[in-house]
Amino acid sequence: MSAPSGAARRGGNLLLGLWYVLVVAFLFAPIVTSIVYSFNVGSLGKQTSTFTGWTLNWFADAWNNVSLRRAVQVSLTASFWSAIIAVMIGSSLGFALVRHPNPLVRRLLSGLTYILLIVPETVVGTSLLLFYSVTRFRLGMPTLVAGITPLAIAVTALIVRAGALTLDRRLEDAAADLGAGRWNTIWFVVLPHLAPAVLAGALMSYVFSFDNLVISSFLTTPSINTLPVYLYGSLQYGPSPAVYAAATSVFVFTIVLVGLAGLLYRLVLRRGRPRK
Amino acid sequence: MAKISPTSTASPAGRHRAAGRALDHLFAALPALWLLGVFIIPLGFTVVFSFGRSSFGGIKLDFTLDNYAQALSGFYLDSFLRTIQFALSGCILCLLVAYPAALFIARQQGARRTALLVLVLVPYFTSFLIRVMSWQILLARGGPIEWLLNVTHLMPGPLDVLDTQTAVFIGLVYAYLPIAVVPIYIVLIRIPAGLIEASRDLGASAWQSFWHVTLPMSRPGLATAALLTGVPMLGELVIPALLGGDKGVLMGMAISQQYLATQKYALGSAMAVLVLLAVAVMVAVLVRLTRGFEEVSA
Repeated sequence: MSAPSGAARRGGNLLLGLWYVLVVAFLFAPIVTSIVYSFNVGSLGKQTSTFTGWTLNWFADAWNNVSLRRAVQVSLTASFWSAIIAVMIGSSLGFALVRHPNPLVRRLLSGLTYILLIVPETVVGTSLLLFYSVTRFRLGMPTLVAGITPLAIAVTALIVRAGALTLDRRLEDAAADLGAGRWNTIWFVVLPHLAPAVLAGALMSYVFSFDNLVISSFLTTPSINTLPVYLYGSLQYGPSPAVYAAATSVFVFTIVLVGLAGLLYRLVLRRGRPRK
Repeated sequence: MAKISPTSTASPAGRHRAAGRALDHLFAALPALWLLGVFIIPLGFTVVFSFGRSSFGGIKLDFTLDNYAQALSGFYLDSFLRTIQFALSGCILCLLVAYPAALFIARQQGARRTALLVLVLVPYFTSFLIRVMSWQILLARGGPIEWLLNVTHLMPGPLDVLDTQTAVFIGLVYAYLPIAVVPIYIVLIRIPAGLIEASRDLGASAWQSFWHVTLPMSRPGLATAALLTGVPMLGELVIPALLGGDKGVLMGMAISQQYLATQKYALGSAMAVLVLLAVAVMVAVLVRLTRGFEEVSA
């Protein structure tokens, strides 16, 4: 390669790098803001856009707020069940997307997965509300969990599908030739291979379900109120910095959880390597 | 390579495979049934009741086009068209911002590449609502961005962005940027390096080889990114409400008002069906654009 074009390429890369840095700064600006402003004194118990001084009180305030705590509890429970369902159903969907013997079925399932991701949440939320009100089904924890699973299922399915695509089909054939039934093949050969993807799917479903606002806002009741819906409601009166303190705590908790999951993933990967 | 394993049902492996079919069908049926119950059938209800009539505190089955007539006239038509315009421009902006970032990540190697990609995805591990609320702080008068602009002398005086369309676009690009980077990145790393080298060897400049090789090859990634950003933007509810003030009501807000405030379920359903139709049109266009790329996008 000639020198000038190499220089041009390096110049191009430098510009791209600069762009990337700006994008990351753009993405992180509100995160940093929310953390910093959870220490903001504020004014008259409300959050202010001008920083008025540092305090730790809002964390205590958030902890002592009973309705906030209840909302966190509901969110933890709902996203736990949603993640459990998403792992079971999403994993089998992700596997079927790659391995189902009938190509037409694979296509239909793949279309379904994309539909889950792209139908606007407002439409899903209102449809569910309409559905439950017409069928006179009482809103509660089960309807909330069922409502937030489709998105989590789609995310899990796509992650597991990516894992299943790298799965060597001959491994399954070999297991079958050696007399393993389909169930044993899946349990002893496929599942260990897909474990990292399944775990990653579980984690993402949990995080996405915990954060769901739009669908949940149509399905919550006065007694079943999730954290995002509670926060959204509190905006009408001007949020207190305690809301930011609660979000910061949840963020730290999530990052610790993700870190642990990453560690687990590495362990699984290391254990799985010699078998390859 | 020829298939080595026997396929006739008489052989042990084949018999196992036939028995295994049942399990494979279960793996397909389980998600299909669950999603039918909690997703497809409720959407079907919306379609059916969009032809119904709102009654006092409820909804009745009927076959009338009144709801559509109402949804496609006056204020609601304006908000429908405005929503489509917002989603299209928001999606294009998002792709423009995401593409160079994805290209930069794709040009790195190994662990560095993964780390740079993960960094873009970190926002998904924080609360979406809090991030949008933080944009309120950032963009408000007397907020950090105004302070920064004043201190650096880039712009004197107060910043009047919050509660405008600009703020809504900032929010839309912000919220959907990571999900736009990922599919573009995935396609970019699959473009064989040899192809780029060949174009350079044949005398193309860095820019020419980007324009004639890399960009056309990344079409499926761009289409997926457009699908994952532009389509959900059609129903966006929170960002316009928090950053756009009450100016310029979009479809998401208008629909949710029919359900939560005025309880005109039938009208709300008709508006939701219109959004679904817009979604379908967008998907059809994007599928056409990527025809012949099934292998790459798979």
